[in-house]
Parts: sequence; C-alpha cells; structure tokens
Amino acid sequence: MADTVKITIDDIEYEVPAGMNLVDAAKLCGVDIPVFCYHPKLGYAGNCRMCLVELGTPRRNRETGEMELAWFPRLQTACTQTVVDGMSIRTRSEKVRDGRRIILELLLSSHPLDCPICDKGGECPLQNLTMEHGPETSRMYWEDKMHLGKHIPLGELIYLDQERCIHCARCIRFQRLVADDPVLGFDQRGRRQRIITSSTPPFDSIFSGNTTDICPVGALTTADFRFNARPWEMVQVATICSHTPEGSNMYFDTRPDREAGGRTTIKRVMPRQNEQVNEIWLSDKSRFVHHYMEHPDRLTRPLIRKGGKLVEATWEEALEEIARQLQAAEAEVAGIAGGRLSNEDFFAFQKLIRGQGSNNLAAYPARVAGAEFVAQVGVGVGTNFLDVGEGDAILVVASDLHEEAPIWWLRVKAAAERGATLIVLNGRETRLDKFATHRIRYAYGEEVATLNAMLGSLDDEHIQPEREVEGLEETLRHARGFEASPELAAAAKAFAGAENAILIVGGEGVGAETSHNLAQAASNLLIATGHVGRPNNGLIIVWGAANSQGAFDMGIHHRYGPGYQPVEQPGLDYAGIIAALKSNDLKALYIAGADPVFDDWLMEEALRATNAYIIVQDMFLTQTADLADVVLPTQSIAEKEGTYTSGERRVQRFYQAIEPIGESKADREIFLTLAQKLGHGEARTVAGLIFNQDIAGAVPQYAGITYQALARVEKQFPDVGGEDLYYGGTSYPNRHGLGVQWPVAAEDESAGLVVRPAEAGSRLTATDSALVVVPVTVLYDAEPVMQKTQLLRQRVPAPYAALNPADAARLGIEAGDMLEITSDGHAIRVMAVLDETAPRGAAIVPRRLQAQGAPLAAVVAPVVRLERIGA
Amino acid sequence: MALLDTRKEDIEHHLSKYPDKRSAIMPLLYIAQEEYGYITEEAMQEIAELLDVDITHVKGVVGFYGMYYDKPKGKYLLYICTDLPCALRGAEEFSQHVCEKLGIQPGETTPDGIFTVENVMCIGACHRAPVMQVNFHFHENMDEEKADQLIEDLRREVKATEPYRSE
Repeated sequence: MADTVKITIDDIEYEVPAGMNLVDAAKLCGVDIPVFCYHPKLGYAGNCRMCLVELGTPRRNRETGEMELAWFPRLQTACTQTVVDGMSIRTRSEKVRDGRRIILELLLSSHPLDCPICDKGGECPLQNLTMEHGPETSRMYWEDKMHLGKHIPLGELIYLDQERCIHCARCIRFQRLVADDPVLGFDQRGRRQRIITSSTPPFDSIFSGNTTDICPVGALTTADFRFNARPWEMVQVATICSHTPEGSNMYFDTRPDREAGGRTTIKRVMPRQNEQVNEIWLSDKSRFVHHYMEHPDRLTRPLIRKGGKLVEATWEEALEEIARQLQAAEAEVAGIAGGRLSNEDFFAFQKLIRGQGSNNLAAYPARVAGAEFVAQVGVGVGTNFLDVGEGDAILVVASDLHEEAPIWWLRVKAAAERGATLIVLNGRETRLDKFATHRIRYAYGEEVATLNAMLGSLDDEHIQPEREVEGLEETLRHARGFEASPELAAAAKAFAGAENAILIVGGEGVGAETSHNLAQAASNLLIATGHVGRPNNGLIIVWGAANSQGAFDMGIHHRYGPGYQPVEQPGLDYAGIIAALKSNDLKALYIAGADPVFDDWLMEEALRATNAYIIVQDMFLTQTADLADVVLPTQSIAEKEGTYTSGERRVQRFYQAIEPIGESKADREIFLTLAQKLGHGEARTVAGLIFNQDIAGAVPQYAGITYQALARVEKQFPDVGGEDLYYGGTSYPNRHGLGVQWPVAAEDESAGLVVRPAEAGSRLTATDSALVVVPVTVLYDAEPVMQKTQLLRQRVPAPYAALNPADAARLGIEAGDMLEITSDGHAIRVMAVLDETAPRGAAIVPRRLQAQGAPLAAVVAPVVRLERIGA
Repeated sequence: MALLDTRKEDIEHHLSKYPDKRSAIMPLLYIAQEEYGYITEEAMQEIAELLDVDITHVKGVVGFYGMYYDKPKGKYLLYICTDLPCALRGAEEFSQHVCEKLGIQPGETTPDGIFTVENVMCIGACHRAPVMQVNFHFHENMDEEKADQLIEDLRREVKATEPYRSE
C-alpha cells in the first residue's frame, strides 16, 4: 500500500497519508470540517452528525468496467471515513450547508442558550459553529425546551449542566479509552439522556479535568473556574507542572482580580499542547493544586530566631546574619535543595555552597538516585512515547506510574495498546498490569536481583552492545549468578529483541542505595542489549520531584559538579549530612525548597540535636522551617521565570505569571546575593543570562542550548485551540516553547560505555509478627502544598496500610483497625485497609499521607494492632 | 442475599453464552428484576462486579431501557399502547379508564404494590387494537368491561398466593 493517497476536497486535489481519518486529513489540507463528537485523540463515534459532507468514492461501473466516481445520494459523516485513493468530498455545497444548519438547529432545540453566564462562552465550539453554520432563528417552540438539571456535581472537581450537554460522549470516551477510568456513562435516552457517574468517590479519576477541555459545550466545567472569569479577559502565561517529573506543559490563565485588590491572580490552569510531553492532557493535581501559590499562609517576610522564637526581620538583617554564619562556617556547610527549584536556582545554590569549599550537596527527595546513569544512557534525543508501538518494548520496574507520573502512565499504556511489549516488574499489582504483556512479581528486596537475572538469562544472541563496552564480561558473569524464572527469561528476551526499548525505573519501596543500584542494573541491561544512544531507547528514572533531573544536571550532588563532572573531594550525601549534623561536624545547613522533616524523623532528630546554624528557604512555615534559625520567604513557580528539566531530560522554560507574594524573592536571587556578599563571584540574577552564560559554560550537556531556543515552537498535529476549538478542545496551542532535550553520552557513537556489576540486596521476609513494610508514592498525598488546596484535599485519604486479607487474618487485624508500625525506633500509626492486591507478607504504606508517615525504604517491621476503640 | 446465591445456575448459563461477559448484562438485569421486583442498587453493584464493568455502565443500561425498573413496581405491569392505530380505536380513553379504576396516573404503582400502568409505544398488535400487555401476556381487542374483569381476576390471583413483597 502506498504511503499516501490522493483525495479531492472541493475540487482541489491533495496528497494525504494513507489510512488517515477523513476529518484529520482535511485538517491537514487546511480544510475545516466542523465536528463535535469526533476528536483526533479519541477517534470517531459518529453521533453528533455535524461533520456531514458530500462523499464520492471510486467504484467500478459494472457496464463499462471503468472506474468512476460514485457520489453517495445522501450526506455522509466525514468522521467515520478513512481516506482512500480517489476519494472526493464537497464541504461547501448548498446541500452540506443545509445539513449543518439543520443539525445545529436540532442540537440547539433544547439548549438553554445561557452563553452570557456560561464558563465556556467565548471559547465554545457550539457557540462558534452556530455563528458560522447555524440558523439565525429556531423554528422550535421555546416552551417545549427540555429542562434538565444544572449545577450537578460529578464529584468535587467537575460540575455538569445537563441542559447544555449535546451527548457527544467525548467525556465518556476519554474516561474509557484514554484514562481507563470508565466512570462516566449515559443514563436514560432521547431528550432525557444525561451523563452520570456512579463510582465511589464520584467521578473517580485523576484525569477528570481533561473532560472539561474536550467538552465542546459548557456542560462540564471545573469547580475551580466556574463563574470565575471570562476566557477573553485572561492572559496566558506559559509554565511547567512543578509537582511530577513528566514536565507537563501548561498555561496559567491570569487576570487582575477585584477580590484580590487588583492583583493579577491565577484563574485556572490549562494544558499547553506538547505532543512530545503531555500531548493535551494534565493530571488533576497539575491542574488544580495551584491554589497554594496564592494562599494566605505564604511567608511574606524573612524570619529570624530570637529568644527561641521566629520573628519577622528585614532582608538586609537576615542576609547579613546568614553571610556572617556562612563565613564563619567556611567549608563546614551543607546544602539540601528540593526538586521544585529551577535549574538557575540549583546552579546558583551549588555556586554558593561550592564557593564555601564544600561538596556537601544533596537533592531532595534523596530516595531516588542514579542520575549519572541517565547522563550516560538516558533516552535518546527525539524520544517520544507517541512513536513507541508494535515491535518496541517498555520495561517498568518498581513503579506505580499511575501515581508517580500520571502522564507517563497514560502514554505508556497507550503505547502498549498500540502493540508495544510492556513488561512490568513490581512486588504488587499496579494499574499498569492490565496492559502488560509480561507481569513479573518479585519479592521486595530483590528489585536489583530481578534486573540482574534478566541480563543473566540472555544468551549471546541477545547480547548486542553494538560497540566496545568496558566491564561487560565481568558484569555478565555476575548477572549469570542470578536465577531467572522462565517468565522472567521470556520477558528479558522480548526486551532484548525489541526494535526500541525504554526502561523506566521507579522508587517504589526503595531508598537511595537500592535506587542507585537499580539504575546501575537498568543501565547494564540497556547497554548489553544495545538499547542506548537512539531515540526511544534508554533509561528514564521516575524522580520524586518535578525538577530533580535539573538538580543533578546542575551538580546538586556530593560527587558530581555541574554536568556530572566528578569533584575532586566528594562531600557528604543526604545520609552523611544527617550523621554530621548529629555529631556537630557541620556548622551550617542550608535547606532550600525542601521539607525533609515532613518525611524523615531522622532529619528531625538531627536538626533538633545539632548546634549547626539552620537556614531554611521556603514558601511556607514548614515543619523543617519551624526548626530553623532563619527562614527566608521564597517564590513559587508562578512568580519567577526559569527552566525545568523533565525526567526525559527536556529543558523547558516557564514564565512569570503573578507578582511576588509579600517580600518573597526568587531562590536564585537569594543565593546569588549571598554568594556575592561572601565574595564567591558577581550576582548575575537574570534567569536568561544565568542559563545562557553560566550554565552553558559549566554544564557541557547544556552548552548547545540557548534560552531563546527553548522558546521555539513548531506546528504540531493535531492542532488544537485557536480557530480549531471544536477539533481538539480548549487546551491551548503551544506558543511559548517546546523545550530541548539534552543529549546523553551514549548518543556520541565514539563515547565508551561502561557497565559494572549491580549490587543486589536480599529478599525481605515477613515473620510471625512483622511484615515487609513497603513505602509507595501516591499522587494525592498530604504534603503541605496539597493541604493548601481545598479542592484536592478532599481526595487525600487518611493514612493507611494495605494488607493482604490472609495476613490480616493471621495477625488478627480487621479493616479499619488502627495499626502501629515501628521501624528504626520510630512508630507510625495507620489505618488497616484489606486489599487483595497487596502481596502476602507485605504492608503497603503510602508516603506522605501524614508527617513522617512511612519508612524511607522497605523494611521488615512489627505491625501491631492498637486496641479497637470501644473494645 | 446476593444474586449469585439465589440464581447461580441462571447467571452462569447466561455468562457462558457470550465470548465477552459484559454482553450478558441484559439477561442478568432481568434476573435481578425477577428476583427483587426491580433492580436494586446492590444488584447493580453485584452485576457490575460479575461482568467486570463500572457500575455507571450498569446504571446507564437500566436507564436506557424502559423495561428495567430501578424503583419498586407493581407485580403486574399494565402496558397500554397509545400509539396511532390504538389511539384511533380509543386507547387513550381506555388508558384513562384503567387509571381511574386503579386510582393512579400512568407511570404510577397502586399503593398495594399490585399494578403499575404505563402508556407505551407500539407493541406490535395494531390489528387487534386497543391492546394491553400484562407482564409478558397480550390482551387484545380490549374494552372497559374486559379490563375491569381482568383487574379483578388479577387481584384475586394475588390474594390467593403469597404476598409479593414482604415489607
């Protein structure tokens, strides 16, 4: 079959890709066929009838035997047609215009026409298409309009207006086909037909906000934006999701607000199309969590501890005091930086700390490690999950992607549905299993051993490193010492034999050390099977924060400077910093954008015990800030500009959306002011200059990237927004930059590759009274920023541990019992939940549902039932 | 009592008929309706689990079809066709008579839980209009006396057997 076919639209011939949907093909040729129910990401349903065209297809004349164009006697729906060679359509004839007018008249027969108070008004496909194609007046009787419910909550986040709904089923299909949460459906039929949800909780999906973007009318609106502003009043400011590592592109829609005293505020968050990153989707956390940014609890002035209390101070006073302390501390300082800081912030931070002569630097959360392996064998430039399909493989180990990186989950699942071989290695069932070709369960503690066994099971035919690899013999010998089950060996073979293969390493149940070894084992497998240095091949690590990748790139690491260049004198890592705090071997600790005390009781203990001077820089008075000697108010992503680097190493820009809250300053500005005071160099605080000059000079991987290049855009398909509101939904076209991926070492074909035996831990086993307590990540956790967002807070569960019913029975535990789990001398209290998917002998405990509410890594710990209330 | 406890055999029979088990949704809904008189929320949940679909889908099917009831209905469903041929033969007056006799409106159920009256679209017996369908039985060429007689007969039949609903 030819790759392209010729079709004729309104008497003009075009060449379009074969097998394409007719509406898409017409769009590609610049011809708009109006649609409501069709969506390029959802396929056709054929139920709105808006896309009627005159259709002619080539047919053989039975009398003459000649091919000729046969026109269908009636109008046909374009969305249900696939282009064929010689197809001809008319989209502007009288007949077509009549058809569209009548369809719109019917769609509007019971529509309330309340555009003046409708959130969608101004960006509404129904409104736009009615203006263009619809009748001026209706022949229907006003009194006969069907009246249905308005303001019906489909959950806390989404409201339904039944009268406005035109039954296109885009939302239902999105939930079923894209999100795999089939919790929306139609009830009744005919004029009474309406959308319902019966899940518990209602509209139980972390992608629910997307339905409001693709809804072609004002039927679905978000609780966040309802009656909040008009679309045309708002200014779009490009930004990046600052909560999970996929680097989702979004816009802050901003407007000066009377209620905020004329300040410009964020009215809503909308997806910004980037077909290589998040396409046109956002998770509900990305979309709705922004409220913390303008929360009244934000710190507005520096605080200094005086007489045991934190009291407000001026910037001058605070910075002078910090400079004096750092000067006195010399090299005995350490820095911990959280993954919400920008690359420019990180660069300035390491400049400050290294300026002191110290390499005591740790990125937070510290539990996921292995960035140096990403720098070697990360996915190749040009990697796009959309291009992964039949013949390719994706391996996901130790991750519940649905919770850790929802957008990757969507895209990996879609790749599997397109035919990619999906291999899922985990200790328990996750939502990816359903789509997997190979589902392998390991015992907790054997994560690395499982990957080693995969490598060890491969015969020479599958070991195809494609170039010189240092340490291959030794590593293979080591890997062959691990036993692989036949299922695991089959998965290894499928992975090795795939055309392209991506390996995704998560942080489920593992701490920093295992995480590092897991990345080593993953890197070995990728190199040995030749899946490196090309697009759609290589390693992705699911970081614990949005810009963890950037933190490592900028040298927030005790062993690596900017650009993964080894430092001469390695410093203390996160665990080392805690130890040094306790032994008073540090004189000062600078924590920026991180709240380790919230997660880690060892850190709390150390901060309480130490004599070191503690500087905390954050948006809120966190539990960590509460223990500080000085607290500096810093800005959220909305108040500054800069760059983030996604887990796929895509460097992307974000822009300032609102004025700084109070006297808060950008993190980089604070670091650089201090660095200047201490004589570590001049303070160049403009983000673009730091990126183009300082970072480009110090980080070889970023040398070829300019701040300007990050803002480059190109035409994407399917095109959304703009004139095409009805086609792709109200998600915005990307006008502010698609970002640039930086190349890894393996992409240079002359670069040597190194493998080393990956040290494997041993199996954790439950005992009579103790279970393997496994910390896992959940999207809706109780971290401070979630607490500040009323809308999402309602979905955060009470702290719990999921147990297998058999273990619960053995330990005399019932659902709802309060449990106490003690490890390392620290006790946590959680509610027992019985879950068939929890493996035998394990207690699955979500991280961050309460302060210090989970162990840092999987551990065997006694699980004790507290007395039942009232028992 | 779950459906699987009382009607296991029937359920398994229907599940075995389809390559994709979600196709068995309609027969299973009928079983629930037979069992409880209408389709309860719990039954919908159980069917959703049996067929591995979301309960929203089950509710949608119940809502789509007129013959499924998600609220209690009478033991006898009186479907009176009021489509054109029946209407020409006086079906509207006939329906009104039946309703007056029972003291309810179309769509309602008598307080004793015995009768539910519905005006319906064509049920395919135009040549013997007006027609009334009682559960699955057709009563053709109806008139007011026949209807009165039928209602009395049915009332007697109910009294002779156990009460339909225990409540």
